[in-house]
Amino acid sequence: MNEIKNNSYNQFKKLGYPTKRLENWKFSNSNHLKKYNTIISDSDIDIKEYLKTKNTLCFVNGSFIKESLENCDFKNEILISNTMDIKEQDIMKMSENFNNEALFNLGIAKFNEGIFIEFKKGNKTHIAINIVNIYDKKSENMFAPTFNIFKLNKKNNVSICEEDVNHGFDSFNLRINKFICDDDSILNHGSIYQDSTQSNLLRYNYYKANTNTIINIDSFNYESSFNKDFIEIDLDKSGAEAIVNALNLTKNDEHTDNNILINHKSEHCNSSQNVRNILQNKSTSVFNGKVVVFDGAQKTDSNQSNKNLLLSKEATAHSNPQLEIYADDVQCGHGSTTGALDKNSIFYFQSRGINKEDATQILVKAFAHAVIKTFSDENIKNNAQDHIDKWMNE
Amino acid sequence: MINIKNLKVSVEEKEILKGINLQIPEGEIHAIMGRNGSGKSTLANTLAGNEKFEVTNGSIHMNAADITEMSPENRSLNGIFVCFQYPVAIPGVSMAYFLRSAINAHLKNQGKEEMDALEFLNQSKEILKKLTLDDSFLKRSINDGFSGGEKKKSEIFQLLSLNPKFAILDETDSGLDIDALKIVADGVKEFNGKKNSTLIITHYERLLEYINPDVVHVMIDGKIVKSGDMELARQVEEKGYSWLAK
Repeated sequence: MNEIKNNSYNQFKKLGYPTKRLENWKFSNSNHLKKYNTIISDSDIDIKEYLKTKNTLCFVNGSFIKESLENCDFKNEILISNTMDIKEQDIMKMSENFNNEALFNLGIAKFNEGIFIEFKKGNKTHIAINIVNIYDKKSENMFAPTFNIFKLNKKNNVSICEEDVNHGFDSFNLRINKFICDDDSILNHGSIYQDSTQSNLLRYNYYKANTNTIINIDSFNYESSFNKDFIEIDLDKSGAEAIVNALNLTKNDEHTDNNILINHKSEHCNSSQNVRNILQNKSTSVFNGKVVVFDGAQKTDSNQSNKNLLLSKEATAHSNPQLEIYADDVQCGHGSTTGALDKNSIFYFQSRGINKEDATQILVKAFAHAVIKTFSDENIKNNAQDHIDKWMNE
Repeated sequence: MINIKNLKVSVEEKEILKGINLQIPEGEIHAIMGRNGSGKSTLANTLAGNEKFEVTNGSIHMNAADITEMSPENRSLNGIFVCFQYPVAIPGVSMAYFLRSAINAHLKNQGKEEMDALEFLNQSKEILKKLTLDDSFLKRSINDGFSGGEKKKSEIFQLLSLNPKFAILDETDSGLDIDALKIVADGVKEFNGKKNSTLIITHYERLLEYINPDVVHVMIDGKIVKSGDMELARQVEEKGYSWLAK
């Protein structure tokens, strides 16, 4: 591992902080991330409150808290070890695209302690895990990198829901996850992000899908100063399916950024992306969505949709949906829309006695609901429904 | 009930209505016939308060109140309802949620208690049955994927649910087969039987044969050029509009 970390650090030094010349960073500024260079591992935070929710694994400042495993029903269904101790090269192998990302390399080089969770072979019962990432920021300029790997064996059925809790100063939280999904497994990976400490979250999530694997990814973000999310999914074997649903609510100067790459490497694989951003004030959003259908990946069925609702004239949405197709018997669709609420729809409500403010609320909620209803994780679904009213009325 | 005086309306600086005078007393049904582009839908949208239609002259009074500058929602709360010719589709908002919100906005405005979900459901089911619409209609998104006939019936459903004082039907008969036309006509007759006033905008006299309006007006080039009884509608059906344009 030390060799990998050294190589990653050298790669980071070679690449330097990303600039706007790079496609994935064209509309995101990384300059403000440079100041976050203090790694703090120790914390005296009491995690008991977070463990009240059963089956919760806690990380504090990127390090796994072993104590949290005691409250988990599934502890006998998993094998858990330190990411630092992994010897198998294949498990460590990440995407080439991520390897060319400077900040991904910085995360690998600097993480202290991550976990490798392997779900035991032969277990077909559904395992639901909550992961709480607590950031206890006692000083300024904290940088908190994490690197975790999850391995699902054949026919495992796992739900992982991640939530962040920020205390103290602002920070740069960099999270790297790899998910390896063996044949016929089901992975639901959800995340809820909300932060009032003006912190920065950068995520690299890499998924490997084998035969007949189903991967559902749900993401709900609101109140996030800088939130940049890289998702790469390799549909390696026939019958694999990936569904990505994301809803981002931004206001003030917030920035949210979804970079999604789905590689169809085998035949009969399906994928869909449904990303919606609702923007107020001067906030900005970026959608870089790409589907690559490799030569021989016949009967691919892929759909990609990005819709952006601008609630302010000063809000900006950048949308870049892309398809690269090298097979001839495929069905791929993509679309992107950006605009304000339809004035005719508001007028229709008004003509029935509903005032403009209420009409706006109903229409915004309807726009959001188109994603919320597709979330596979009930926790995220309920959370999003609860927060949309609050977010609009704040 | 409704008193329109010398109403002139422009859309994108082009004058469409060129001085409309129209009085519709309580309980009466009036009809306006006219060619495409004569200004009929402009009148309907202006009465609804659509801001795209700019009133440059004249006034609209409902009873004693001047509503010329009133917001669309306040017009609705004061009892005006337009069955739109091309109602907008709104994906993601169910008819039930929409209509119950509208009914409750009216009840709140009247200082009354909101209608609960069960009461709303019972009232809606009764109206839907008359319009030969299934109860599942309530769960569908507003006008989204509706057929032409369903859109018209949806407007009548809302009309009967909100029970306004004055309804404007903007070509509600167009695109309807004969059975649907009769159902819509019955809906209008039921509405008008409650001492409400109605303005029917149409190309054809076939809906009027079912409804038998009190007064028929003919609009040409943004003006009402002739008013009469059902006989005028029959003459228009037979001879067209050219003879009235001279």
